[in-house]
Order: sequence, then C-alpha cells, then structure tokens
Amino acid sequence: MRRGLKISLVTVAGAALTLSASACGGKKADDGDAGGDKKTVKVGLAYDIGGRGDQSFNDSAAAGLDRAKKDLNVTLEEISAKPDEPDSDKESRLRLLANKGYNPVIGVGFAYTNSIVKVAKDFPNTKFLVVDADQCKVEGANVLGACFSEEQGSFLVGAAAALKSKTGTIGFIGGVNVPLIHKFQAGYEAGAKAAKPGIKILPAKYLTQPPNFDGFKNPALGNEAAKGQLDAGADVIYHAAGGAGIGVIKTAGAAKAWAIGVDSDQYNQPAVAEVKDYILTSMLKRVDVAVYDFVDAVAKGTFQGGTKKYDLSNDGVGYSTSGGKVDDIKTKLDALKADIAGGKITVPTKP
Amino acid sequence: MTATEAVASVQARVTRGRLRWPHYLLIGAGLLVLLSFVRTLDDANDVTSSGTVSASLRLAVPIFLAGLGGLWSERAGVVNIGLEGMMILGTWTGAWAGYQWGPWIGVLAGIIGGALGGLLHAFATITFGVDHIVSGVAINILGLGLTQFLAGLIFNTGEAKALGGGPRQSPPIDPIATLTLPVLSGGQIGGWKSPDWLGSLEKHHWFLVSDLAGILRGLTSGMSLLTLVALLLVPVTFFVLWKTAFGLRIRSCGEDPYAAESLGVNVYRMKYAAVTISGACSGLAGAFLVTVAAPLYQDGQTGGRGFIGLAAMIFGNWRPGGLAAGSLLFGYTDAMNARGGGGSVHALLLFVAILLVGVAVWQAVRAMRIRPQIVTDATRREIRNAWLGSVLSLVAAAALLVWFLGSEEVAGELVSFTPHLTTLLVLALASQRLRMPAADGLIYRRGEAR
Repeated sequence: MRRGLKISLVTVAGAALTLSASACGGKKADDGDAGGDKKTVKVGLAYDIGGRGDQSFNDSAAAGLDRAKKDLNVTLEEISAKPDEPDSDKESRLRLLANKGYNPVIGVGFAYTNSIVKVAKDFPNTKFLVVDADQCKVEGANVLGACFSEEQGSFLVGAAAALKSKTGTIGFIGGVNVPLIHKFQAGYEAGAKAAKPGIKILPAKYLTQPPNFDGFKNPALGNEAAKGQLDAGADVIYHAAGGAGIGVIKTAGAAKAWAIGVDSDQYNQPAVAEVKDYILTSMLKRVDVAVYDFVDAVAKGTFQGGTKKYDLSNDGVGYSTSGGKVDDIKTKLDALKADIAGGKITVPTKP
Repeated sequence: MTATEAVASVQARVTRGRLRWPHYLLIGAGLLVLLSFVRTLDDANDVTSSGTVSASLRLAVPIFLAGLGGLWSERAGVVNIGLEGMMILGTWTGAWAGYQWGPWIGVLAGIIGGALGGLLHAFATITFGVDHIVSGVAINILGLGLTQFLAGLIFNTGEAKALGGGPRQSPPIDPIATLTLPVLSGGQIGGWKSPDWLGSLEKHHWFLVSDLAGILRGLTSGMSLLTLVALLLVPVTFFVLWKTAFGLRIRSCGEDPYAAESLGVNVYRMKYAAVTISGACSGLAGAFLVTVAAPLYQDGQTGGRGFIGLAAMIFGNWRPGGLAAGSLLFGYTDAMNARGGGGSVHALLLFVAILLVGVAVWQAVRAMRIRPQIVTDATRREIRNAWLGSVLSLVAAAALLVWFLGSEEVAGELVSFTPHLTTLLVLALASQRLRMPAADGLIYRRGEAR
C-alpha cells in the first residue's frame, strides 16, 4: 500500500515535470490576416531567454514581427528558450520549426549563432536569420546574420552621460560578462571621454559571469549594483542588462540620478513609468528593423545570405529623445553621430 | 560518586567546551577590529561602508527566511527540500496581490501562497508518508511550472499587461516603506532633514570608529520595514521553539515522534503545523524578493536561494542564531559581488589570510595539548589531523598573502566566485559538530512504534 502511494507520487512528480516543461515552451500558433492574394510567409521564431514580454531585447524582435504581420501575410510560431539550456536544445528547437515547414526561421540572440549555422546545413531551402550573430560571422548561403554596432550607439549615450553629469562620475552596469556587452561598455567609455576628457568612469560592473545568465533578468542584482555605483559618486548610470536593468533604472530614479536605457526606448515602458523623468535617453538597437527587413526580403524573394550591419549610418542603432532630456545637447550628439557615420571617429569594440 | 555528582561532572565537561554569549561577542569584536585593520591598510572603504551593510542585509533576508522555513520543518522531523518551490509560489502570489492592493497585502498573499505549498508538502509526507525528498522535488518543479503558467495567463492580459506585465514578469509593485533613524542617520522628522552623525563619522574613514559608524548606519538607514520583521523572527522563532510547550512538542516530534506519541502529543497535528509555518516562512522570503529586493515578480527570480537557505540552516546547526549568522555571511559576500567590490575583496584576501594563520596556530596548540594524553590510535589520528590542518591553513594563508601583495584588486570574474568560495572555506573550517534532529527525514506512522 505504502509502496503504491510512493510510486503514484513519483508519477505525479513526473507529470508535474512535464507540465512545467510544456509551460516553459510557451508555444503560440497564430494566423495572420486572411488576405488570400498575397503569398503566405510561415515565420518560425525562437526567442532568447526571457521571450516575448521581456520589455527589452526579445520584445524588440517581437515588435518587428508584429509589424511584418500587419504588412505581409504571415503565419507565425514562437518558442522561448529556457534558462541554462544547452546548445542541443536550441538546435532541436530550430529543427522542429524547420521540419514543420516554417520558412524563414529566426533565432533571436547571439546564443543561437552556432545552432543556426549547424541546422541550416540540413535545411538548404529554408532561410535563417540570427539576430546578433556572434562575432558577426555566419556560414551558409541560406543564413543571414544581423549585426549591430552597439558601440556606436553607446558612444552617443556615453557622450550624453558625460555632458549631463554634475558630479563628474558616471557608471556602467552590464548584464553578463560576454564579448557582446563589452561592445556597449567600450563605446560608452569612449563616448564619455570624447565629450569630456576629464570624466571619471567607475569600473564597469558585470552582474554575473557566464554561464550564469541571471544578470540579464534579475532586477535585484541590478538594484544593488546601481546602489554601489551611486555610493561611489556616480550620477549617470548606463545599463546593458536587459530585464535586470529595471532594477538599475528604478534605483537611480529613486536617488534622483540619471539612468540610461538600452535596446528599446525605455522612457515609454510601463514597468519603469514612475521614474521615467530620470531616464536621460536610451541606446536604441533596432532589432525590429532587422527582423522586419529579413521577413520582407524573404517574402519578396530578395533574400541574400551573409551578414548585414546595422549601425549609425543606416539608423540601425541610435539614441532616443523621448522626454526631451537631451534636447540641450542634441546638436553636439548629432555632430558626433555624423562624425561616426562619416568615418571620422572610429569607435572601439573592446574596452 | 553519587548520581547527581556524576551528572554534574558530565555537564561541566559539556559546558566547558561550549561557547556562550560573551564568547560570541568577543569573537565578533575581534573580527571587527581585524576587518577595520585590513580596510585601513588596503584603503578599501567599501568593506564596512553603510551601503555594503544594508545591501548584505537585503541580500541575506531571503536566504534567512528560506532557512527559517527549513528550520521549522526539520525541527518537526520533516526534511523540506521544497523550500525553493514554496518561495517561488510566494513570489507569484505576492506580486499578484501586491500590484493590485499594495505591498503589504502582497506580503500577506505571499505568506499564504507559501503556506499552501507547505500544506501540500505536509499532506504528501505526513498523511501519505511519501519520501520527503521526492515530495520536495515535486514541489520545486510544481512551483516553477505553476507560476510560469499562471504568469502567462494573468500578467499577460488586460490591466496587468497595460501596467507593464508580461508572461515572465508582473507589473511593478510599490516599494515597502523604509525606516531611517533621525539625527543618527539623517532621517526626516516631518519635513525637517536631521543631521547625519553616523554618516559624517563614516566619511572620515577612521580606524574602528568609522567602521562601527558604517555598520550602525547601514542598520539604521533605509531599512525596509519587512527587513525589520524578518530580523524580529530570530528571537520569535527561538522563543516559540525553545521556550513554549508548543515548541517543545514540535521539537520532540523531530527527535523521537514515538516517544512524543506515548506522552500524548498529536504528532500528525504538530508536524502539519510546523510544515505549514515552514511554507509560510518561505513564502515570506518570496514576498520579500518581489517587494524589497526587486520591484516586481520575474520568472526565475529566486535563483536557488531556497537551497542556499537550506545550506545556511545546516551551517547554523538547526538553530535560529546560527542560521542568521550563516545567511549574513552569504549576504555579505553577495553584496561584495553585487556592488562590484574588486577592491574590497582584495582587502578581504588579507583578512582571510590572517584568519587562516589564526586557525593554524589554534590547531597547532590543540595538537600540543593533546599530545601528553596519547593512549589510543584515535588520539594519535586526531593529533595528526590537527597538524595537517595547521600546515594546510598556513600554506593557504601564504598563497593568499602572495596574491594580496601581488595584485591591486581582484578581477571581476573571481569576485563573482566569492560567495561560493566562502561557503567552501567556512564549511571546511567550521568544526563539524553539527547535529540534526534525530528523527529528521524519517516517516512516522501513528502506533507503529517498535
């Protein structure tokens, strides 16, 4: 009798496991507009950790997709990644999408680079996009890597931070210590020094070290790191920490110091609405444009493999002006922007 | 020798080796002086700054509350490895109620959510006699899956979505009021901003004085009311478990349920109460995370704190005071890491090196002292182990000293490793005289005493 109970409880545990696994997947199939004359594009999109609704990077990709859905005839399936999953999980996710006949298939986040290159070889007729291709390198005629010059956008917000700082000390908080986030740091520091050579930049703080990717989603870490930098005298803090950045912005705002947002225009985000008056600007990374361009190109049949660079010259990165906090220094920032786009200033990608 | 004399002599032997309050205070004061010494020497002012102290408190509280959950449950003889799951339930229910009706209702809802998880664990382990580990693991998985499912269902629609919710996060929750002492730490009385005496003392960076000021200011400025509640739970738990009849019954269920049964204690009821309270504590830990540590619920927010709480409880020898000390240690190293203290951790290298030299000396003295009493192989082995420990500590201290002298600050990659390293060191050095409740983890069936 007791053994029977034990076995049944283990079964329940197993069932719970399956439940949670399926809850992680968060699948969603969605039909687009039933405009019969246009050719239907079946888009399969695999998100990075966080998925749709992270109010940051993934949502930016989702926004591009939503726009594509409006303009084109799109059928859509979205799957989210789980934290701490191995590359093989990403591969099987992409394989699943490709096998179901989704074409094109999109992987959001640099972690997908290797998996996409691998899977693309087995599905030569399916077009793949990897947003934030690792080292800006991809292989295969059916793979497009979208790369962003985050350092250029970060350069501009770094200049804004230096110009707006009253204490002469500014800080940077990155989510996870990976090469991608180093680009943000490098650009930010270079921009601050270019705008004001005497500026003091606190040692960059990375919330976690890989393989712990908590630093992109745990606002408590962002909160404490921001407190540490405020105590060290910073009055402008730039975060490149995804969801954890909510903690940075809130803490900076509560201390009446400036915060600088990242990826999308965080001034308009409801999660930080109460402190939005302390959001100086945001470094924009137009993932939505990259996703839209790609789906559009596939629909029109103009797709070309390789890599595509999004930088200041094609407005793939930039800074936001919502709230009008940087209106007084806008001419300076735009002059810097023109210099970078024109090649007069080369922004470093390594700190 | 009469019986009472024999008992008295045994008691004397037991109490001689045991540390009492004055000892703890003395050890604490010694550590503080040492800390202050390395701070001034290395010019690493963040080691004892008020910011670090209040951050470590904030980071320690969730670990402590989870550990407290484990303490209640294991004192009643039920191993609770499902703390993490109950904590996750607490974060979700706390956030769900918190964004709608304010943070305190959220805290209450978090407690209830965690208690429900505890009740489930009690139901499985006590009524059905399921293996405690199996049930705990199931609750961890269930808590995670259920909250992810519910978040997608509720935070991603209607009003919640408009307020900033999503499938993986809740709308923001108003923070809980914080307390800052006037005059001492610069709090406000009415509209008047009082002086900040401790703060100005701290800024001078004097030896010892500024450290004390920093620590006191960390404890008296910007302290969340919920942190205060958590701190109060240390004496409350001690009082209830060790000074009341209810507590005695609960502990007796953890030591020998059949003996308790023979004395008329309703063991099932006691265990149910303890495990439900355990869940409530974990739920409170979860609620703390969404109202104080971060302004919202986020998927995967607990980050294994339930398990660290369990470790802190074992480190604290299943007692509230030890548990509090253990969680503060974890919180402190976490704060070092979160505040980007490459320089502070550098100073701590010297601190640990000096401590290790102390350990080496202590082990050597111990070896010398037992030497004349060699009678059995066991004592010989003990002496050999003491010498070995002494030499190993010296080697480690020398290595740390070289590292300290040869570098300016510790690299960020290694700073993030500090909490883990500390755990390892402490568990390796702390004397392993831990004793868990005797019937912990055993399945109890009424009337089956043998």
